[in-house]
Amino acid sequence: MIFVPFVAKNSSPFALGVVRFFVHGLFLFDTVFQSYSALGSLPPTLLRPTGVMKFLPWSFYDALQTHGGMLTLKTLMLVSLVLSTAGFLTTFSSKTSLLLVAFYQGLLRSFGHFNHDEMIAIYFLVVLAFTPCGEAFSIDALLGRTKKDRPAFAYAYPILLMQLLLAWAYFSSALIKLRVAGWKYLSPDNLPALAIFHSLDNLHDTAFRGAFWLPQVREYLPYLVGLVLIWELLFPLAIVFRRLRWLILGVGIVFHFSTMFLMNIFFPHQLMMYVVFINWESIAGVLATFNSYRISYMSGRQRPTTSAIS
Amino acid sequence: MSIISKLTNSWAQADGAAKRLVVKYAILTAALFLPLFWAFLAVRNLYPVAAWNVMMAGGDLERGRSYCILRGETVSGETIDVAAIEISHTLYSRNWTMVNATIDNQAFKLNSIHPQNEAMLREYGGIQNLPPGARIPNLLQAWGNLYNQRESASSPKRLKAIRLDMYRWESGRYADYDKFVESWRKEL
Repeated sequence: MIFVPFVAKNSSPFALGVVRFFVHGLFLFDTVFQSYSALGSLPPTLLRPTGVMKFLPWSFYDALQTHGGMLTLKTLMLVSLVLSTAGFLTTFSSKTSLLLVAFYQGLLRSFGHFNHDEMIAIYFLVVLAFTPCGEAFSIDALLGRTKKDRPAFAYAYPILLMQLLLAWAYFSSALIKLRVAGWKYLSPDNLPALAIFHSLDNLHDTAFRGAFWLPQVREYLPYLVGLVLIWELLFPLAIVFRRLRWLILGVGIVFHFSTMFLMNIFFPHQLMMYVVFINWESIAGVLATFNSYRISYMSGRQRPTTSAIS
Repeated sequence: MSIISKLTNSWAQADGAAKRLVVKYAILTAALFLPLFWAFLAVRNLYPVAAWNVMMAGGDLERGRSYCILRGETVSGETIDVAAIEISHTLYSRNWTMVNATIDNQAFKLNSIHPQNEAMLREYGGIQNLPPGARIPNLLQAWGNLYNQRESASSPKRLKAIRLDMYRWESGRYADYDKFVESWRKEL
């Protein structure tokens, strides 16, 4: 197939379907467990519509910031995200989920600030809305509603595009820090001052006090901050080098949990988007192998051959 | 050169459907990355376009910083710390900036102001006369109501008032984090 050598290997309708399930499922999880009525209780006079949210009139926000308005929004989001997560009417439901999630996240940012945690997941929703993500691991596939004759590129490129978006988030973050703060970013007081500031109030999600330990080790912190910058700059290598991938992603997990314990800032949605680097084909193969062995064992027959498993 | 020639050959061999798919994906890629490049160059967030400027300025020990503690006064006479995340879970990670923006009256500094905020501005005779945190009482009322909704009518933990205490870390050294600045209080 054309261009396949240039894009992510082991990307298939199944891999794209699993990524759809995870990304839409994450927003479905949020929608189920978050109290929209609490959000609806906040007065619209606190809103500062951000970006495209400015195009909506105040009368719309007045109607939305009510019990009925929030109930309607939550119901629409639940229906759409259940459909898109399950992969039912995926061509349609993936787009409605994108619109609703993007709107809801814009509303949250209009109350608070431009938090970056969910942004990568929103961009993944964009990719999934315009690619054939419902052709496997979906109800549409079970019902035989999928087109079978697409080139491998159709499934491989969206995976690569999502990997590139995630890599861009880290890479550009490091470049912006260097552009804005320069070498001052490596000052010994940079991390402790910032971390302590984020640990003083009780308005953050967590109340860890690790930040107050940082001044004791301040002379070592420029090296730590420097290593984090290097890690961010090297993140794109995770796309190309499979051996390096797990090291880079592993450091990412440690980094994000560290920011929670030291700064009370956590990016769980961005962390969850690492799923795009997992080789779902291999995992499916391992599970199939395990299942074949289990069936063979249970039925007392001879072990299956490798070719039978694959 | 070999990659370019491979691409050229692949394109030449591709059928119409495959070429359409390549064009579609090229448009999708450009639609995503061009705004992101712009945001990166401008170091500006314009929802939904993000510049990853998280913690870009870093911390500066010499710069003073203000922060707030949300507290409740219970009907039993106790003063308790109230974690904002417990009553406003949906806004997670954004409660502290919502409070900061409300204290700074940022909702009154928009190009298009909410009609009720416009009326308040007229009442005060302009933004220069508006006290800091003009809408904080509304926020405290909403948070207080949400908190009390979780408690039974007879619970001693119900709040009779809720307040936001502002402190300042004058900074310059790793001590004296809690110099009191001011407080907003709302009877419930």
